[in-house]
Amino acid sequence: MSIPYFPGCTLHVKAKDLDDSTRAALAALGLELTELPEWTCCGAVFPLAQDNYMGMVAAARILANAAKLGDGRLVTVCSFCYHVLKRVNFAFRNRTEARNKLNEYLEEHYNGEVTLLHPLELIRDDVGFDVLQDRVYRRLKGLKVACYYGCTLSRPAEEMGFGEPENPTIMEELVAALGAEPVGFSWKTKCCGSYQVLNNAALAADRAQAVLEAASRQGAHVIITSCPLCRYNLERLPVGAAGKGESEARLPVLYFTQLLGIALQLPATTLGLDSHYLDALKEARA
Amino acid sequence: MVVTCTVKVAGNTPCTNDAEERGRCVVTGAEMTREVKAISGQNPYLCMQCGLCSASCTGVGFMDLLPRKVMRLVQLGDKKLLENRAIWLCSTCLTCTARCPRGLDVSRVMEALRVINLRKGTEVLAPEGIPEELLTEIPQMALTSGFRKLSS
Amino acid sequence: MTAEKKTVSIYVMGKQSEVPYGVTIMKAMEYAGYRFIRGCGCRGGFCGACGTVYRKPGNFRLKVGLACATMVEDGMHLTQIPFYPANKAVYNLEALEPTLGTLLKYYPEITRCLGCNQCTRICPQELPVMNYIATAQRGDIEATAHQSFDCIMCGLCASRCPAEIVQYNVGILARRLYGRHIAPRAKHLAERVDEIRAGKFDAELDRLMQMSKEELQKLYNARDIEQ
Ligand code: SF4
Ligand code: SF4
Ligand code: SF4
Ligand code: SF4
Ligand code: FES
Repeated sequence: MSIPYFPGCTLHVKAKDLDDSTRAALAALGLELTELPEWTCCGAVFPLAQDNYMGMVAAARILANAAKLGDGRLVTVCSFCYHVLKRVNFAFRNRTEARNKLNEYLEEHYNGEVTLLHPLELIRDDVGFDVLQDRVYRRLKGLKVACYYGCTLSRPAEEMGFGEPENPTIMEELVAALGAEPVGFSWKTKCCGSYQVLNNAALAADRAQAVLEAASRQGAHVIITSCPLCRYNLERLPVGAAGKGESEARLPVLYFTQLLGIALQLPATTLGLDSHYLDALKEARA
Repeated sequence: MVVTCTVKVAGNTPCTNDAEERGRCVVTGAEMTREVKAISGQNPYLCMQCGLCSASCTGVGFMDLLPRKVMRLVQLGDKKLLENRAIWLCSTCLTCTARCPRGLDVSRVMEALRVINLRKGTEVLAPEGIPEELLTEIPQMALTSGFRKLSS
Repeated sequence: MTAEKKTVSIYVMGKQSEVPYGVTIMKAMEYAGYRFIRGCGCRGGFCGACGTVYRKPGNFRLKVGLACATMVEDGMHLTQIPFYPANKAVYNLEALEPTLGTLLKYYPEITRCLGCNQCTRICPQELPVMNYIATAQRGDIEATAHQSFDCIMCGLCASRCPAEIVQYNVGILARRLYGRHIAPRAKHLAERVDEIRAGKFDAELDRLMQMSKEELQKLYNARDIEQ
């Protein structure tokens, strides 16, 4: 069965590898995704001002359009999209005023019927990590992985429902099922500096560097994430910022879907992986 | 120089507070606190100044005022807070929100202080000020989120 | 049965006028004594010069239409938006790359779209304006080009946008990028240009140039008309 899917703006060009690897890895597990016929940007951030409904309209319309497809589910992988859609959906379900106000602006009436799912949840619930374990062709034995959730997936806990606000474990469960070794990583839900990269690049560089160092200290070979902005900040910013040169070995940062794809032995091209990552991974496990 | 406030308060008596002291005025400062309460939906007087939020903050090392102090100045109604850099360095990571022992959504208070500014047209991130390389390289989600939080 | 009304009452920028029933806003305004110096071009719904906003009595919704193509209704309050100041990038199309980066370089504000849908609601051409901004925002230049194809640059969408986006200029940039750099080149066009350059049609053109007006008219009337 095909499940409605919202890619989000960034996945169309800048994070095409996240889009490609998500579709490919899920397809290999028998989960086919169908992109929503029409969609806009979700807004990327959830408005924290109580009286800002305009900041929720785009996400509301995306959910309402997904509801029309009748599947009852919507999958999205980008951490920002997941955060916004989940919280707006929560508002529809739990805040009468928000529901009424937002419906004034929607073309179709919506009540929060859709269940928003992250691919991690979809794999856990529809495939099962135990089943996944048997499906893995290439066990990633010896690979130490730092699972980086960043700040958007798990907080606020009561709205996101993604596990402990500062200690979610679903990504580690996936990594273990792939035969790799998730490292203890207390920085897993710390913020990479996020959009502050535009306003105060030094702040973002400092935070990203701290995340990388924490992962290194735990002996990780690779960091995985589901957020294009985390990946950008972790990969780009710390160069030079903390005295680390480009030449020095840097921890590769991958999307979790790419690691999953490697374990499922999908061709590197369908995962948007270029050879330097694969080399780095090989080296790490040598 | 001490400037004494002449705004008439209860019973038509002038308020004699030192209006300049830390930029604070009981009348207008109270207005800011009221506004923050309304926009954030949080009661700042619940804060017991434990500092857990500051200790958790992503902006630590870059903010001149960490969230605990921000909370205190909201309680005091210090309007200088609205001109503080710190409120613009918050990355809405919600760590403070997750940890506050009084159950305060601190990130909403930070947002309210930004929003009061933004609604008057004060912003810190202008599209035209972003270097071209960054603008064309960065994931769009950073632009969208940055503009939504930091530009009006 | 009430007799059919011969005239209707409209309010142009607040001033009441009695105008004939069943005419366009443009004709009604001229009937009422307005002379168009701006805000009128083709009179046929193509040039986009005559964008008009109006409200009908007892309805809070803001409506729009082209003055040359919208009929007057009784009690209508209206004004024209013949021009809307716009952020218009200047570029050398040849030197541009058809990428998301190019769109963001000239119009970074597209990432400020709130998804309010006001632009789609107001567009007199009934274009999916919000959607073509959404496709631009994600870097799908081809989709933006196609979805904005019928835009007549009337400016009404920009007048409504809380994100201060000038949708029609984003659309035309996408169409230009698409036309110049993405759309496949037509093979037959290149061949025909070569033929013209090689002088294949020179003799025929010379023959036409020698003809009298009557001969030309006869030839024109007898032309093949593609169905
Ligand atoms: S954590 Fe909560 S109670 Fe403690 S200082 Fe911060 S806002 Fe106040
Ligand atoms: S939400 Fe803002 S104030 Fe709170 S911890 Fe994160 S950066 Fe600091
Ligand atoms: S897209 Fe905008 S400018 Fe173009 S026709 Fe529609 S309203 Fe007018
Ligand atoms: S009017 Fe502006 S903000 Fe609203 S949907 Fe259209 S482009 Fe986006
Ligand atoms: S006058 Fe040209 S569209 Fe109306």
